[in-house]
Amino acid sequence: MAIPLLICDDSSMSRKMVNRSLPEQWDVEVTYAKNGVEGLEAIRKGQGEIVFLDLTMPELDGYGVLESVKEENLKSLIIVISADIQPEARERVMKLGALDFIKKPIDAEKLSAALQEFGLL
Amino acid sequence: MTDRLTEDQRDCLQELSNIAMGQAGDSLARFLEVFVHLSVPQIQLLDTKAVTGALRNIEDPHKPITAVGQSFYDSHGRNGLHGEAIVIFSQSSADVLGKLLAEQDCSPDEGLLDISNILVGACLNGLAEQLESEFNYAAPTVIGHDISCASIFETGKLAWNTALLIEINYTFEEHKLCCNLVLIMPDQSVNGILNKIDEILAAF
Repeated sequence: MAIPLLICDDSSMSRKMVNRSLPEQWDVEVTYAKNGVEGLEAIRKGQGEIVFLDLTMPELDGYGVLESVKEENLKSLIIVISADIQPEARERVMKLGALDFIKKPIDAEKLSAALQEFGLL
Repeated sequence: MTDRLTEDQRDCLQELSNIAMGQAGDSLARFLEVFVHLSVPQIQLLDTKAVTGALRNIEDPHKPITAVGQSFYDSHGRNGLHGEAIVIFSQSSADVLGKLLAEQDCSPDEGLLDISNILVGACLNGLAEQLESEFNYAAPTVIGHDISCASIFETGKLAWNTALLIEINYTFEEHKLCCNLVLIMPDQSVNGILNKIDEILAAF
């Protein structure tokens, strides 16, 4: 059965780049969200068992999504994909429950390595 | 002239700027020893005369601002991609920076030049990487303190008429820093960038 995967990023180009970086043969059903509010709604609906989450977004940013997922105890494995490369940004998202942090622009090999490391492939 | 970017071009430039501004934010955080909250950069391509009215993140565009300029050019000089980058700080942002810079034993002017250099370098290097080019830079200079935007953009002093406006908002833990990066370029350079952006978009 396909795994529900959510790609949450305000940039259409970035969503496409992440989608193109997904490992071939990975059985996922992809949902897209353009901001944190849409992303959180999709997670609540069960469309984000795995989430690739941007941090800098309008409406609700990635930190807000992580906080809500934690507060609401939603079942979601979240990998942050962001251009915010400050070490403290990484520390903050990891404290908020993110599995990993991958910097933009996305590298398909790094994404696959992270998915393998966490047993998601 | 109204903004003449297509939505796809804007999205692409926005994401390229976002990546570049992430790098700039990291450099800024290290320089000022603060954590920097980033926001989504807003992009517009305008006639230079329309820039003053388009600066949405400056509380009142008619209030005095501080501006720093820096020219850039690729390996083909005037025959290649080139222009002038202007970083505009609202007066309240310049004041916030002055305070933070004083804590770093740095003079306000020296600090503003360093910060502008970080922003311009990160943004243009990021763009150049995507455009498979490389930019060289002249030293940044303070255009003026307590001056009006109109004095820069509306008096025909600039060499070219087209402006790529990249609106940047960085928020520190307690302070909000709003600044704008305006790239003034000849039409030939703008078209060169847009052609490359279209090639990137066509690849998707």
